[in-house]
Amino acid sequence: MPSSRDEAATRETAAIRIDAPPVQTTPLAGAKLSARDVNVFYGDKQALFDISLDMPERAVTSLIGPSGCGKSTFLRCINRMNDTIAGCRVTGRIDLDGEDVNDKGLDPVLLRARVGMVFQKPNPFPKSIFENVAYGPRIHGISSSKTELEGIVETSLKRAGLWNEVSERLDQPGTGLSGGQQQRLVIARAIAVNPEVILMDEPCSALDPIATAKIEELIDELRTQYCIVIVTHSMAQAARVSQKTAFFHLGKLVEAGPTDEIFTNPRDTRTQDYITGRFG
Amino acid sequence: MNEHIVKSYEDELNVLTAEVTRMGGLTEAQVADCLKAVVRRDQELAGQVVGHDERLDVLQMDIERKAIRLIALRQPMANDLRKTVAAMKIATNLERVGDLAKNIAKRTLVIIESEPMTPLTRSIERMGKLVLSRMKTVLDAYTRSDLDRALSVWSQDDEVDEHYNSLFRELLTYMMGDPRTITACAHLLFVAKNLERIGDHATNIAEIIHYEITGEEMISAARPRTDAFQV
Repeated sequence: MPSSRDEAATRETAAIRIDAPPVQTTPLAGAKLSARDVNVFYGDKQALFDISLDMPERAVTSLIGPSGCGKSTFLRCINRMNDTIAGCRVTGRIDLDGEDVNDKGLDPVLLRARVGMVFQKPNPFPKSIFENVAYGPRIHGISSSKTELEGIVETSLKRAGLWNEVSERLDQPGTGLSGGQQQRLVIARAIAVNPEVILMDEPCSALDPIATAKIEELIDELRTQYCIVIVTHSMAQAARVSQKTAFFHLGKLVEAGPTDEIFTNPRDTRTQDYITGRFG
Repeated sequence: MNEHIVKSYEDELNVLTAEVTRMGGLTEAQVADCLKAVVRRDQELAGQVVGHDERLDVLQMDIERKAIRLIALRQPMANDLRKTVAAMKIATNLERVGDLAKNIAKRTLVIIESEPMTPLTRSIERMGKLVLSRMKTVLDAYTRSDLDRALSVWSQDDEVDEHYNSLFRELLTYMMGDPRTITACAHLLFVAKNLERIGDHATNIAEIIHYEITGEEMISAARPRTDAFQV
């Protein structure tokens, strides 16, 4: 029979341990991309407010939030796509392996080879399937011979899960493929230049569920090699494909954390209201 | 808490929790009745408890069906997901409590064939009342999403265990003193064991409520407890 003092001690431990979160999530690797106090202005209008977010290596980070919350704007900061918009000003730092992407000495074209992007609507070049994938390696001088280029095209299409469907018709126009195939073609095009990061802006919103599943399977495979950042309107998709989730609202980062925690036990009521489909 | 944008989703979640509350009420009544039956040696009431158990089985299946449907069709997230899972788990616990109450009622039918043993019945009644109040408190905690109430049930489980231990000793004394009481005492021992397990289910439900409200699990091992076999 335990003494009453022992019992009191047990009870005390119990009280402490109630508050400790027992669920352990898989630890994420170190940050590949690290944003600190990023502000974005379109003219006088401020679109993003002090965004600080780490995006881990070899993992998928999903950005979620209602339309106009700034998630796509943030994504476009990562490979300096906002440079092309007149009147758009970006402050703060986004480090790619410790190097600021906004560094004046950094060539945005080279940056975009390291940070590939896939858009909502598949945008293959009006060229053959082969040329779509070969274009990047060729202009960046990655391949030295035709055989090597063919090798890159084949590997990239295989990694994008498209090879078996198109190997017999590489000379046919990329635009002739189905929507899902086109999206995998542009992913093959993005990975052909050996990027380190792949940005995806709602890559499945124009696709049917089967094509979506194939892209999601592909994302899951690609994450073993790349840092992937995906903007999605589908909460279920964010839950399925990502390991880290960041919730944006009205230009601010409300909450970021391991995906399973965000979807089972968000800390902020705004996150909770949004992901459960309530009025925010 | 804000309302869902999709009104029918809100309704479905509310129906689910309302049904668990209803099932909770029925379960509580079953426990109260089986206790009354064993204390008052009421054959008719014991029969009723046995007959009413099916209602709990039906409700449990219905709650499970509704929860599965909700998960499939609405993909609940965060607190909604926890609410749905909690409803399903609480219903399972309540169904088990119902079975235990039915078992007490069945044993009552055998016990009343022997001579009454008033002091033992009093002890059973005391223990039963305690268990019943724990059930009541935990179900209140569920209905009102009252974390403190749930925690109070969770941290006081050892009281029931103490009752059980002392009843165990009491029953042994009776059986050793007069072997003719063995049949009734053995059944009463099971009645006590069932009550103790109903107490455990109340504790389980408290843990589920804690998870539903906070999103964090409690660690059962950390709960203060007196081993039932440490007599």
